[in-house]
Amino acid sequence: MQFAVNILVLASIYALIASGYVLIYRVSRVLNLAHGELMMFGAYLLVTTAAGLSSSPVVAILLALAMSLMVGGLVYLFLMRRMTGEMALAAVLTTVALGILLRGLILMFWSASPQHPRDTLGWENPVLMLPGDARISLFAALLVASTILVYAGLFAFLRFSRWGMRMRAAGQNPLLAAQRGINLHAVFALAWALSTFTGAIAGMLIALDSGLDSTMVMIGLKAFPAALVGGLDSLLGALIGALIIAAAEVGVIKYVDPLLADVIPFAVLVVMLVIRPWGLFGTREELDRV
Amino acid sequence: MTAEPLLVVEKLEVVYQRAITAIQGVSLKVYPNQIVALLGTNGAGKTTTLRAISGFLGLDDARVTEGTVTYRGIHLENREPYEVTRHGLSLVPERDKVFPNLTVAENLAVVPGRRGRSNRRMLEQVYHFFPGLKDLRRREAGLLSGGERQMLAVAAGLMCDPEMLLIDELSLGLSPVAVQSLTASLVAIRNELKISILLVEQSAVVALEIADMGYVLENGRVVLDGDAQRLLNHSDVQEFYLGHTGGDRRSYRDVKQYRRNRRWYG
Repeated sequence: MQFAVNILVLASIYALIASGYVLIYRVSRVLNLAHGELMMFGAYLLVTTAAGLSSSPVVAILLALAMSLMVGGLVYLFLMRRMTGEMALAAVLTTVALGILLRGLILMFWSASPQHPRDTLGWENPVLMLPGDARISLFAALLVASTILVYAGLFAFLRFSRWGMRMRAAGQNPLLAAQRGINLHAVFALAWALSTFTGAIAGMLIALDSGLDSTMVMIGLKAFPAALVGGLDSLLGALIGALIIAAAEVGVIKYVDPLLADVIPFAVLVVMLVIRPWGLFGTREELDRV
Repeated sequence: MTAEPLLVVEKLEVVYQRAITAIQGVSLKVYPNQIVALLGTNGAGKTTTLRAISGFLGLDDARVTEGTVTYRGIHLENREPYEVTRHGLSLVPERDKVFPNLTVAENLAVVPGRRGRSNRRMLEQVYHFFPGLKDLRRREAGLLSGGERQMLAVAAGLMCDPEMLLIDELSLGLSPVAVQSLTASLVAIRNELKISILLVEQSAVVALEIADMGYVLENGRVVLDGDAQRLLNHSDVQEFYLGHTGGDRRSYRDVKQYRRNRRWYG
């Protein structure tokens, strides 16, 4: 039972982060390789707001979330916007540079020492007992719940809201979308904002659960195979991909060797790329671009 | 015609990849509340003219090198597509004209309104002209037949709340029944909404039947223009676009060349 809970928690983390990769890729066909850093940046924003507003933790979290939403939008407006219409490769390389830049910024402002925003906010992280003698920490449980909420929200947004439909339309045929009068820059900025927002939720909850330092980037990077295995332009795929990667990782930790944990997601990724490069639920025509 | 023309294309020249001249000195005018047909065979430059007006050229590495496109006095050469749409011109492209993975209703809903009109009101208007779409609104656009797809494309163009519709190849690949229903809708749209339509067509009959004015393009130049009825009865149009032969017929090429020479030099 504990085994299943571990998979569920890890899958939630990966799924939450992977949704960010999918959002941006689906709308603009750009792989955001700075997603891990942006997620970490959100967590560090919480470190700062928590220090300033330790008496009202909820406000601190909401403020940090709002700021990360803005950060995502600003990254698009000031950086990625210039890349629209350019080669996808140029845009992807820009995100790599952005990631390195963010890592440097984080070291400069927050130092490399581990941070514990939960202690700053004065919160406990009690262990909850589940049936079958399994345990889960409070913030890990919140992570699972957040993932469910975020996915339900994203599905509803893309399906029913006008801007969600515009995001789908722009992803399918940006030219036609522009011709119909849809402001593509607004759509792309929204995708970046939402992507950074969901990433920041993951980053903050992980930080609240177990603290953070600059190695959090690795978690962001390991969520990337989850998005790719599922198919980069499918949210459902990201969810399933996250489950597969998490199950493989937890299984190997338990039955083989815990040292292999960081390798497994990429091993699964390589296998997937050989068998089905466009992922489980991805669109096949993307083949030439992967 | 007493009113000022809505759209004026003056001596337009478009060059692809800095080397290939696709159209040369094309001039045309569209007046308010008018349906204008732009005719010609494959490669005559019809689509290029339409793309130059609607701002799609930059994507094909083509540019307007000479001449002007003005709409209500505003210059539109080498603009972005969404700017052109915002000014009130809406293009229905020849290919990839709908979002295949979106339903019919979603295809119509993604279009932002212009001039502050509510989406709901525009939708009612669109279903009024294309009642068939209302029954299909939950269907994915990729599953529609050619005629239904063209209907949806025109409807989506109408959702942009345009003053002028630019339609590329209305009848291409469609059954005669579907074409008839579409042209009837276009006439109704023109009559009720008072908007102008620039119609690019290979089929002269289809276009000239509903058009007020017509322009015939050949090799990137306008070779004939005038009142639609006059064009329909013009011997050249009769011979080459309607297939009516009269008298001793030489090969298509010879006749074409001869007539062109006569027109240009004589």
